[in-house]
Amino acid sequence: MSQREYHIVVLGSGGVGKSCLTAQFVQNVWIESYDPTIEDSYRKAIMVDGRQVILEILDTAGTEQFSEELYMKTGQGFLLVFSITSMTSLHELAELRDQIIRIKDDMRVPIVLVGNKSDLEEDRAVSRARAFAVSQSWGGCPYYETSARRRANVDEVFTDLCRQIILKDMKDAQVRDYDHRDRRRNQGGRDSGGRSSGRRTRDRNSRGGKKSDRSCTIL
Amino acid sequence: MADFQHLNLDEPQFHASAFVAPLVINKSPQRSRSASRHTRQSSSKSMSRRTTSIRSQSQSQISPPLTPRASREALPSAEPQAEFHNYLRAFYHFHPTSTVSSSTDESSITVPINQGDVILVHSVHPNGWADGTLLASGARGWLPTNYCEAYDHQSIRSLLSALTHLWDLVRDGESGDLDVFTKQDYVRGMIAGVRFFLEKTQCLTRESALIVAHVSLRRMRKGLLGDLSSLVKTAKKLQELLQSAGSTLAVFETLDELVLKAFKLVTRAVRFLDIWAQDAVSVPVPFDFDESANRPLTPPVDSADAQIAPATPSSNLGPSEDRTADHAAVVSQASSSTPRDEREDSRSRHPRTRSRASFAFALPPTESSAPHSSSLLSAQPQSKRLSVTHRLSYTGKSQSVRRQNLASERLCAAHDSFLSFISIFIGLHLQSRSSSELLVTTRDSVIACRQLLAVVEEVWERDSQRSDPLEHARATMYSKLSELVQATKDMFSNSESVNGEEVFTPDSGKQLVIAATSCVRAAAECVTKATIVIERIGDFEFEQAGQGISQTILEGINAHLDKDTETGLPEPQETDKPLPATPQEPTSRPPPPPLLISESKPLPEPPAPSPILNHETLHPVIVESPTAVSFRSSRSSLPPLSQLPIPTLPQPSPSEASQSPASATHRFFGKAGRADSVNVSVADSTSTYPNSVRGDSASIISEVSTRATTPDHSPTTRHGDQAMMSSFGSTSELHSIASEETTGLEAQLLEKTFVHELIYNKEGQISGGSLPALVEQLTTHESTPDSMFVTTFYLTFRLFTTPVDFANCLIDRFDYVGDSQEVGVPVRLRVYNVFKGWLETHWQSDCDPLALGIILDFATGKLRTALPAASKRLAELATKVTEVRAGALVPRLMSSMGKTGISSTIYSAADSTAPNPVISKSQLNALKNKTSQCNILDFDPLELARQITIIESKLFCSIQPSELLASEWTKKNTQKAVNVRAMSTLSTDLANLVADTILSLEDPKKRAIVIKHWVKISMKCLELANYDSLMAIICSLNSSMVLRLKRTWECVSMKTKARLEELKTIVDVGRNYAVLRQRLLNHVAPCIPFVGIYLTDLTFVDVGNQTTRQLPGDDGHEGVSVINFDKHMRTAKIVGQLQSFQVPYRLVPIPEMQDWMEAQIKRVRASDQSNVQSYYRRSLLLEPREPPPAVKATPPVESSAQSITSKDRFDFLSTFTFSSASTIKDR
Repeated sequence: MSQREYHIVVLGSGGVGKSCLTAQFVQNVWIESYDPTIEDSYRKAIMVDGRQVILEILDTAGTEQFSEELYMKTGQGFLLVFSITSMTSLHELAELRDQIIRIKDDMRVPIVLVGNKSDLEEDRAVSRARAFAVSQSWGGCPYYETSARRRANVDEVFTDLCRQIILKDMKDAQVRDYDHRDRRRNQGGRDSGGRSSGRRTRDRNSRGGKKSDRSCTIL
Repeated sequence: MADFQHLNLDEPQFHASAFVAPLVINKSPQRSRSASRHTRQSSSKSMSRRTTSIRSQSQSQISPPLTPRASREALPSAEPQAEFHNYLRAFYHFHPTSTVSSSTDESSITVPINQGDVILVHSVHPNGWADGTLLASGARGWLPTNYCEAYDHQSIRSLLSALTHLWDLVRDGESGDLDVFTKQDYVRGMIAGVRFFLEKTQCLTRESALIVAHVSLRRMRKGLLGDLSSLVKTAKKLQELLQSAGSTLAVFETLDELVLKAFKLVTRAVRFLDIWAQDAVSVPVPFDFDESANRPLTPPVDSADAQIAPATPSSNLGPSEDRTADHAAVVSQASSSTPRDEREDSRSRHPRTRSRASFAFALPPTESSAPHSSSLLSAQPQSKRLSVTHRLSYTGKSQSVRRQNLASERLCAAHDSFLSFISIFIGLHLQSRSSSELLVTTRDSVIACRQLLAVVEEVWERDSQRSDPLEHARATMYSKLSELVQATKDMFSNSESVNGEEVFTPDSGKQLVIAATSCVRAAAECVTKATIVIERIGDFEFEQAGQGISQTILEGINAHLDKDTETGLPEPQETDKPLPATPQEPTSRPPPPPLLISESKPLPEPPAPSPILNHETLHPVIVESPTAVSFRSSRSSLPPLSQLPIPTLPQPSPSEASQSPASATHRFFGKAGRADSVNVSVADSTSTYPNSVRGDSASIISEVSTRATTPDHSPTTRHGDQAMMSSFGSTSELHSIASEETTGLEAQLLEKTFVHELIYNKEGQISGGSLPALVEQLTTHESTPDSMFVTTFYLTFRLFTTPVDFANCLIDRFDYVGDSQEVGVPVRLRVYNVFKGWLETHWQSDCDPLALGIILDFATGKLRTALPAASKRLAELATKVTEVRAGALVPRLMSSMGKTGISSTIYSAADSTAPNPVISKSQLNALKNKTSQCNILDFDPLELARQITIIESKLFCSIQPSELLASEWTKKNTQKAVNVRAMSTLSTDLANLVADTILSLEDPKKRAIVIKHWVKISMKCLELANYDSLMAIICSLNSSMVLRLKRTWECVSMKTKARLEELKTIVDVGRNYAVLRQRLLNHVAPCIPFVGIYLTDLTFVDVGNQTTRQLPGDDGHEGVSVINFDKHMRTAKIVGQLQSFQVPYRLVPIPEMQDWMEAQIKRVRASDQSNVQSYYRRSLLLEPREPPPAVKATPPVESSAQSITSKDRFDFLSTFTFSSASTIKDR
């Protein structure tokens, strides 16, 4: 598979440590001095499921609100970051999510909910269950707790989001594919094939056309 | 599922030790053998046995350097150290019959060394020859390490490391990087080194007891200062030469001179230390001159001679050992810290130790001398000598380019790839995945882990000390990996599935995640330990081993997995990727290093107990014609040279890589039945291992690039140094030089200094330091401090210290610099200047007044006595500062960084050149008349853009640097960053105004006209270089609420759309705003950049860089942490860029229009709380959402009607919420 490039937008209200999360991810552990002003300051290549993916992280850290939309437009995946020490920071994400969905005009846009500052367990204000409930209400997006300071779960969050983007890419391609095929058959054809999961999609690709028909029936 | 049976890692060939290179089995009884290793050995007995045979085979094949007089079995078992020593000292002279080996290539020069010579080592070849530069002569070439011992003494260490640093800088300088020499910071390192040295030897002042008591020390001290002074002169000369853009030739000559002077200085220091140790400090050791002192019988280069090793009467051994014992007693008296019996114990194994101790280290026992002295040679046979060991470069600049194969790099790469795989692995189990995917990921992770282990193994093997922590870490990591594999297997055996589509729930994956996480932790530990080891033993190249590792593992894995994986990914490429480009083509190799050495060239026979020095005879060349005494030589047992395996140059072709013994294919993965063939293949591939025939069999190109003086270089330096060296010969000469130059320098030397607390980066800039060290840098006497440094300091010092501490530190500096005319006065003036600059231009009325009292006291106290006029001025300033309430006395704009005369002229220029406003009388009247309704369409886009720019510029120019520090603008509870925040608000308001003006119109055509107008305005903003407003307008036009108005955009002309597209590319966020940044790069003020970029940059500089740095630890201690000044330099650089644009526009304001605009903004802000959602709602009202396509709506119904599998639940859920949410939205 060829090298893909994705834009990931990190969002969250001030003070949740989202820029810290970004910096931790983007920075090589061995780098002694980090310069954010160069072109690939926010680019990183990672391996996801055996394929190399280039990620460009867009982080609005420190900028005014209006440019956020610009970022959202560019992004294919979103990390919504709150601090587990602040309930408000979680609440504020709801609006951001609405905005993302509005801008992308897609309910299934890849999102990962991130509760940062997991090292501050004693100051926890958002229970795991609460945050998980929120993530479930958001179409079951994955929920992670990270500690940017201790570099816990940082890479995992980005990798997971990246995997979601890839899966969505494939699904979308599949939908297009099926819409096309359905039209070619006749109008009565089942159109549910397009809704099959990415898992099935991939398998079908590898097995060829005949089996794909069968999997439609299974559905 | 069937696939998985094949990933059975318990099969013999996959067992435990199969994944890591087998450990060395040490035949001699070793105390250091850890119990854990025994356990592991027993767990893989068959492997161990094979390993043993391999090892013994290869050892006999690799032609190790001849072990000095003791057979390997008799080697001490106690902790030999194969540390990489930057400096060696010859304990015996070595004069090869010809300096050039039998080939005519002059680059295979063997340097003659004299007893007592100190050598800067660049690399050590596995055969025991080292590429080194003689400090005494500056000559570079190969020399036998068994004639040398590590040279290191606490007191001289700092000077030696300063020299190494200087050397590295000069090397970089020769490749064209001369910036660092325009300053003299590097010389200060040498000065600090000398100072430290004299301090440690208690000879710092002329009056010190030792100096007074010992004539020779007095002389040496003077000589040392003379050398130092001459070094400083050369450095100054070089500086001037560079500033006057002198010819390159002259520069290089001066560079050479610089190095030679530095060498001379250090050589002198070494001599000083010798005298000091013998004369001044220790009990004089009774030496008897060993008449039977032997000399190397065989010049190493001469292959003919090598075979004529004369029979060695073993009878000599007896007496010599007797003597040894005698001396051991004496020495142990002198150095009483070592228990006598232990000493004797080691003495009997190391007859040489006595002489060494007495010669180089006849000092009171220091922490380092004893272990070091025994390390060098004894370590060699045990360490895995596959490649050359390198000294780690201080600057690391030129090296990094050509050495991708260094152990450190390998380690790093392997770790990275491991982390990326394992993170996938972990990520996978947090979600539900299928078995096939799991299989692939597990395999990838295990492969990556094994690669890492292999690299670590390589490092471990290389280290003769066999670092226990590293071994332990590796063992832990290994067991974690096994656990992980086991956990994966368990999972698969538990869950049987018919169609291989079994999905594992996150719960069942929990075990795996835990295992994987602990694996990651173990890996990190492992890497840390390995890095420590590399630091200690010196970096080395993997040569082919590195390639071998990945290759072998791949081969093994592939062989195994190919048959069972139908998912089989193109394995080799995949796993190869993470490893850094192993040079695959000979063409991509670095140019061959200049020096040649024979792989098979045996080390010369080391001498017997070296001749003992008399106190009077301090000349380096002491033994002119030592009597030949030989010891039982193991050379006779070596095959004659002609029969030695012919070395071949490593050809990194895949085929050979798989053949090489280091690529442990067979060892790791071969079936047990192939054990025999393994041995065979190892045996013959050894010969072809790393070398290739090069003209004659005895000399090959060393594969490793060395930091060599270029071949044509060394002869000249050697020549040029003759004169200089002669000054060493006689003390009278030395004396005469010294007396002239020392006086001034002495003062400088006595100066208290914190130079050793500074850290420099590769560019030679200060990247860290303690506060006193930084303050010292701020007030150096020898040159005007770097302006960037000074500005950074003023701007950011409140982030790493308090005004009070800063003031006190400056006063301390004022105190400790002393009254000396030479140094004291200029430094004190600088201290005053720093205070002055602070009060005049960098005073911050909110926090700095705390220090005012201290400054006033200083001004009226100490400063008055020293510099009366300055005192008066400072006191004046201090009182003035209290009067002026806010801000600096002098407008910061003028004095700050990045500002030149140009900007100030713009600032003061008359407004006569300003363009006339484009506005009609009627328009003005309309604006004045509050009742009439104005529309933005009524005004000219240019004038609107101008007025917006004026408003914005006013805010932009009033941004104070302090507002930009420490993410001040994001802190809602402080009032510090008023202007930054006001500017952000203005931009947001402008964006909202754009949306408002468009969305308030019912008619799509009218909306289109407004859009067109805004596009025109933004074009004008671009012309005015007002990027901030441009950004706001484009963002708004580009926002979903405007962009979704299909009918409106249908009415917008193609021309406008094209213009908008153009503008969009300018404000594109991609590649970190590459387009915008490029535009701003060379922009001339006035200009309003998009402030958001700076704010983001500043945030990430703050977050992404640590506040402190570690000084390199001394004596193995943890380094002191100092201020990370680099971070502040970066901050200041960004602030400086922003400031450079802070120039007002020459535009005529139209107050009426500005008022109107502000009123509009206020209105927008008030209405609807101006939040994005309300605009969006308005947008939906204007052009309602079209009914979603049928396909999107149907699935929920369908899927709910049918039975759904667990993995589809997710889809169902999201689609369901989708439809419900969108209905709400649309309503």
